[in-house]
Amino acid sequence: MKCIFRNKRISAILSVVPGQESCFDDERLNYNLTEEKARRMKKMMGLDRHRVVPPGVCSSDLCLFGLQQLLNEGALKKDEIGALVFVSQTPDYYLPPTSNVIQGKLGLGHDVICLDLNQGCAGFVIGLMQAFMLLDIMDAGKVVLLNGDTASKLVDKRNRITYPLIGDAGSVTVIERCVEENPVHLCLKMDGSRYRALIVPGGAFRMPSSSETLKLAEVEEGVVQSLEQIHMDGAAIFNFTLEDVPLQIEEVLSFSGNSRESIDYFLFHQPNQFILKQMADKMKIPQEKLPNNVVGIFGNSSSVSIPVNITHNCGKQLRNGTLRVCLSGFGVGLAWSSMVMKLGPLTACRTVEYAAA
Amino acid sequence: MNKLEFFRRLAEILNVEEVTEGNVLKDFDEWDSLSVLSVLAMADAKYGVVIHADEIRSVVKAADLAELVEAKQK
Repeated sequence: MKCIFRNKRISAILSVVPGQESCFDDERLNYNLTEEKARRMKKMMGLDRHRVVPPGVCSSDLCLFGLQQLLNEGALKKDEIGALVFVSQTPDYYLPPTSNVIQGKLGLGHDVICLDLNQGCAGFVIGLMQAFMLLDIMDAGKVVLLNGDTASKLVDKRNRITYPLIGDAGSVTVIERCVEENPVHLCLKMDGSRYRALIVPGGAFRMPSSSETLKLAEVEEGVVQSLEQIHMDGAAIFNFTLEDVPLQIEEVLSFSGNSRESIDYFLFHQPNQFILKQMADKMKIPQEKLPNNVVGIFGNSSSVSIPVNITHNCGKQLRNGTLRVCLSGFGVGLAWSSMVMKLGPLTACRTVEYAAA
Repeated sequence: MNKLEFFRRLAEILNVEEVTEGNVLKDFDEWDSLSVLSVLAMADAKYGVVIHADEIRSVVKAADLAELVEAKQK
């Protein structure tokens, strides 16, 4: 699908990361890795450290913390909120929707619409799409997009494929109408036939939770997992990122009348450094225009990786000025979504650390 | 495709002096998931071909890998 949104803008982005940092060098022994293999892996994937929530902290806590900050500093007022969109694969409950829980905790009015979206790596761009669509039909108010993921709860510490890469984070993005046309170009594709490439097979209703699905087993050396944790076909995902995503970037650039040169930054989902470097090379985008540092500082936080990328790498530039950016999220679904837009100046654009209330 | 050059690139990925066509890939210490990803990336970047995960899993010798890449180029 391709579409254009007009007269809408992002006015603030706040990323929230857990205060606790975990280092790959300390985790190496959990994975039974030799020093040499750990060194290769660290260099190739760009690993160093990542952020993981302490027990008891949920995605929604990170989002709520960020939202409260924006309210406290006056970047957003409670009565301006028309809708809450919560994008996550780690909700508080099967039911009710977590966005309703957040609405209740904040004491927002009953006219504030709450929507949960189950999306992962493509979930920031898809969340923006949902927010823009809501602004088209709402009579007033702003949309608050909340992205939250705590993948650390879906992987085992002794899994060398998934654990070193993941990171927990939340973000709050405020989207509103504006007088300027400010066109936003979106290209979105989905391929459900490859749904198994990234999956938590058990624990929901296709394969209900049981002692069998909870059983942890070492399926190969250094790969401990249960059926209720993330299973990733790394090579298939790699093929996908090099085959399908670059074509979409070409598509969204031409659809929006841009060239590689007219885009200031390509702010992509952050699976790992290796994939991002290959993508940049393949698309002939200079490495400095396509940041790849997030996984080694915060970890891959699924739908939150783009906001973390934005606030960490472009915070100052976006508080003070405007950038033309190409956002792209790709992964679980499979889903891939890319957007070209003008971003900034933003009233808030920074990364903060979560502190328990 | 220049096979010698291909084997030189493969040797670089596997961190060995030399790879010859009769070498069994599994016999190399560093033939693991990281190297497989590097080979997929090399095939794409240098030869413009996409090798899929299941295809590479069925490859035994270095020569088979070279043939797979070559066949895909046609």
